[in-house]
Formats: sequence, structure tokens, C-alpha cells
Amino acid sequence: MIASTIALYFYTKNLLQDEVEEELFSTEARIVSSLKKNNLPFSLPPVIEVVEIQELKEEILKDTLIYDPSQDEDEIFRELSTFKIINGKKYRITVRNLVVESKDILIGIDVSYFIIILLAFLFLYYFNVAGNRKLWAPFFKNLEAMKVFSVKSENPIVLVESNILEFQELSNEISLLTNKVRDDYQNLKQFTEDVSHEMQTPLAIMQAKIENIINTNKIDEDQYQLFASLQKDIQRLKQLNKRLTLLTKIENNQFINIDEVDIAESMGKTIKNFKELFNVEIDFKEKKALFVSMDPFLVEVLCNNLISNALKHEPNKQRILVSCLQNSLVISNSGEKAIENPEKLFNRFYRESKGNQSTGLGLAIVKKICDLYGFKITYKFQEARHVFSIFFKPTEL
Amino acid sequence: MKFLIAEDELDLQQSIVTYLEKDANICEVASDFDEALEKVALYDYDVIILDINLITGSGLEVLKEIKKNKKSAGVIIISANNSLDDKLEGLDLGADDYLTKPFHLAELNSRIKAVLRRGKYGGDETIEFNEIKINTKSRTAYIDEVPLTLTRKEYDLLVFFVTNQGRVLSKEIIAEHLWGDDSDLIDNFDFIYVHINNLRKKMTGETAKYIKTAYGSGYKFINY
Repeated sequence: MIASTIALYFYTKNLLQDEVEEELFSTEARIVSSLKKNNLPFSLPPVIEVVEIQELKEEILKDTLIYDPSQDEDEIFRELSTFKIINGKKYRITVRNLVVESKDILIGIDVSYFIIILLAFLFLYYFNVAGNRKLWAPFFKNLEAMKVFSVKSENPIVLVESNILEFQELSNEISLLTNKVRDDYQNLKQFTEDVSHEMQTPLAIMQAKIENIINTNKIDEDQYQLFASLQKDIQRLKQLNKRLTLLTKIENNQFINIDEVDIAESMGKTIKNFKELFNVEIDFKEKKALFVSMDPFLVEVLCNNLISNALKHEPNKQRILVSCLQNSLVISNSGEKAIENPEKLFNRFYRESKGNQSTGLGLAIVKKICDLYGFKITYKFQEARHVFSIFFKPTEL
Repeated sequence: MKFLIAEDELDLQQSIVTYLEKDANICEVASDFDEALEKVALYDYDVIILDINLITGSGLEVLKEIKKNKKSAGVIIISANNSLDDKLEGLDLGADDYLTKPFHLAELNSRIKAVLRRGKYGGDETIEFNEIKINTKSRTAYIDEVPLTLTRKEYDLLVFFVTNQGRVLSKEIIAEHLWGDDSDLIDNFDFIYVHINNLRKKMTGETAKYIKTAYGSGYKFINY
């Protein structure tokens, strides 16, 4: 770049000088021929000076500085002085021509270079951007499709065709992969549902047989205790089944009834039911109705599971506090220490203590319901209480 | 009473028969769809226990057939499918009750009795047992015509006992009847004692003796 600028500078300078000298010689020739025709010598300083002299000298070609009053500065002139004898008289003919200053040449070169490069850059930039945009369009469209893709979706991912081999291969692989994932997910869901369903009948048979056995007179008390505990285990399996089915149904979006349900009212009913059966203190503070759009059955499940959970973990059946606020539901039960792994709290089959025989699905269901409707559920340990809060319209917070 | 048990799982079918025959009921069985169709067409039953998923066809079709022939039999659907739609469809078609597998036989028995009461007395639903009289419509119980003040759960308990008299009812069975299986509080059935003791206290001394303890932790309602 710099080398080319330097080269261009000298080249241009030389070229200009040659041109100027050529002009000087041709001007001089014209003056000579004009003098030969007996015209009077004339001058037009500083460009042309014709002077009669006594003796001839060598021809001189040089640069000279002459003050230019119009511009109020010294200008460089190229000067040619020749000495000729015309019609017997000796003349000195001096012609001068203004030379373009090297500074000006340099600036000219730099400016033109700059403009050329800028133009080239702009052109290339827009050319590249437009080209890339066209070239990468299928890639970005597919990327967008992948971002919104969910394994839960009913339809396969829709990808854009491309005539670029690599992109086409990528799309094909993505299609294969997502279809596989979707199929696996569907199979898994179906499997859970099928297993739960298929287990019902054998369980029913076991339960019925046990009931018939305990109604014969041939068993003793120890055997009865064994059968009663079997009944309890069957009960556990039943509940596990029921809850797994419920979870699957929520995941499958099978609860499509949406009603305006009053959470406060539903909670009140649930608490009343619990109080009818269990001797517990549940302190329910309800400010006013709290209407939420959701499936009425799931509201019951939500309230039920939250209260059962609180009850189960309430030592010595002390007090459970429930309050229904403007936009949230808060339930707390007392506890000695915070839960060790709060992040796992809503996972299926996570049990903080090995002792209790719960299915480990209660809170997972609560979380699933919250996720389904975009509610936000939080857990914290505060003032020796486990506090669960559900915010029904988290966006308005 | 004459029952038809249409259930293709023979083990379950036989268990139901064994349980129901204790009350000197006559139980007939149908082990597949065609047999069920044939029997409901030919004979009259007081109550038909109908599995929805019979191997060769749907129990709901059998139900339609029963209703088409204007049979007076009560119908209780038993199904392994817990879906609300199935339940609603069954009830819409004229079934009297719907039980999801697995169920306790005592629960089934109790439901059968309820269906029978509704069918027989056309709304005037009373259960009598010696000096105990229960009006299931107004949900009140009397002992020697004196009304008892029972909570809802105590009332349910009493009806459950009387309808399953002579049978051993474990805490598990009673708990599920009172509470349903919606909530997993199974690690603690102690609440049953409280309700039974309260019920016993409210019944007079002699009547309370009908509720006997069986095998230490179960119960049996028995005419001593």
C-alpha cells in the first residue's frame, strides 16, 4: 500500500515534469518561429521572457521559486532558458510553467486512494452481507425452527431445504434426530400410561383375594396382620399408579376444561374435608376470592396435594397455615430445619426422609400443574416453617 | 338377590362371586362379551356388574342392550380405566354406578346395596338393622326412633358397616371408603380409630356392641 503510494507519487511526479518540459519546449519553439517572422520580442512575465543579450550561453532547464503576488506565496516553476540567434539578433528566451507541487500530488493520491478503498470496502461489505444472508438463510431458519422445537410437540420439525450440501446434511440429521427424540418421548409417555393401566387388573385381583381371605375364619391374628399390611402395600401401588397416570395426563395436555375457578373457595372446601377426617389445626386466612383460569379438577388436586404434603411433614400435627392473598397462595407447616435439597423438592420420587411411605409424587404433580398454567411455585424455609407459595400471575409481579 | 358378574378376568370374577355369595345371593357369571349379551337378554338380574373391557367387546355395548330391552337391573360398571370420559359415558348410558379397578369388595358390596335400595324403594331409601334405622335420603340414622347426631364421616362409616355386616373390614378398606384414594396419607390410618370410637360413643351401649374388633386392628359389624 505504502510502496504503491510512493511509486505512484514518483511516477506521477515524473510524468507531470515530462509533460511540463514538453510544453516548455513547444512554447519556446513557437516563440522562436514567431520571432523569425519578424515579430517583435514580447514578454509575459513570469511565463515568457524574451530578452536581447550580448553572448550566447548553454541551454538551462531548472526549477525556480517565483513569488506569486496573486496567491501571496512562492510557487515552483519549471524554467527553460534557451539562447538563440534569430534574424541576426541574440535572444535569451525563458519560458516557465507552474509545476504541480509534490505535496498536492501526494494529497491527490492519498485522497483518491482513500475514496477508492472506501468504495471498495463498502461495496464488498454490502456484497458480502447480501451474499451471506442469502447463503445462510436456510441455516438460520432451521436454527430458529430448532429453538422452538419441543419434544412434546405433535408435529415433526419443519426444516428449510437448501442446495448447499452441508446445510442439507445438517437438516437431514436434525430431522432424524428430532423425530427419534419425539418418538421416544411419545413411547415413554405411552409406556407409563400402559403400565399403569395394565397394573390395575392384577392389583384388583390381589386386593379381592385378600379381602376374601380375611373373611374366612381360618386365619389367625398374625396372618391377618400380614394381609392387612399387604393391603396397605397394594394401596400404595394403587396411588402410585393413579398419580403416574395423572402426571402423564397433565403432560399430555389432557385437561382441556378451563374455568374461572376460585382458589380460595376450593382451598376452603379441601380444608373442610381434611378437618372432617383428621384432627389437625389448619389456619386458613382468605382475603377474598382469587379467580384463576384452570381445570376445576386440577384445582382440587392442587389444593389436596399441598395440604397433604403439609400435613405429612408437620411434626406432632401442629398448625398448618394457609393464606390466600391477592395473587398468591401460601401454605406453610412447621419444621426443624430447611430441606437439604430444595432444588430436588419437586422431582418425582424425591423424598427428604426415608421414613414416610408417600408416593413421592405429590409435589411433582403440584409443580406440573403450575408449569401447565404458567404459575410460579417457590419454596423457602422461614422462621422454622416450610413455606410454599404459588404465584398465579407471575408476569404481573 | 340375583347378580350377574360380567368380567373376563376369571380370578377377579370368582373373588367377587365368593364375596357376594356370603349374603346368600345368587351369582351368575359371564366371561366374555357374547356370554354377557346372551345372559342379559335371557334372564333378569337385580344388579349386573359389568366390566367395560370384555375381551371380545365393550361392556358399554352390553349396557346399551340392557337399556334397550328395558331391563330393570341396576348396573355397576367396573373398569381399569380411570378416565372421566369413560365414566361419564357409562353413566350417560344409564349405568347406576362406576367403580375403578382396583376396588375393595366391601366397597363394591356397599355400592350394590345402594343401587338396590334406589331401585327397590323408588327413592324412599331406608336401611334397617335391628333397632338401627338409616334414611339414606336425608342422611340420618335412628336408634329406636331416636335420631343420632353424626358427623358426615360417622354417618358414612355407619352405612358402610351396616351394608357390609358380617365381614371383616380392615383399617385400609375403611380408610379408602371414607377418604377415597385421592390423597396419599396412607402411612397413617390412626384417624380411623378416632372416628369409630366417636361413632361407638354416640350409639348407645348395646348398639355399639355391634361394632366388634376383629384380629386386633380390623372391624366387623355383627348381630351378636
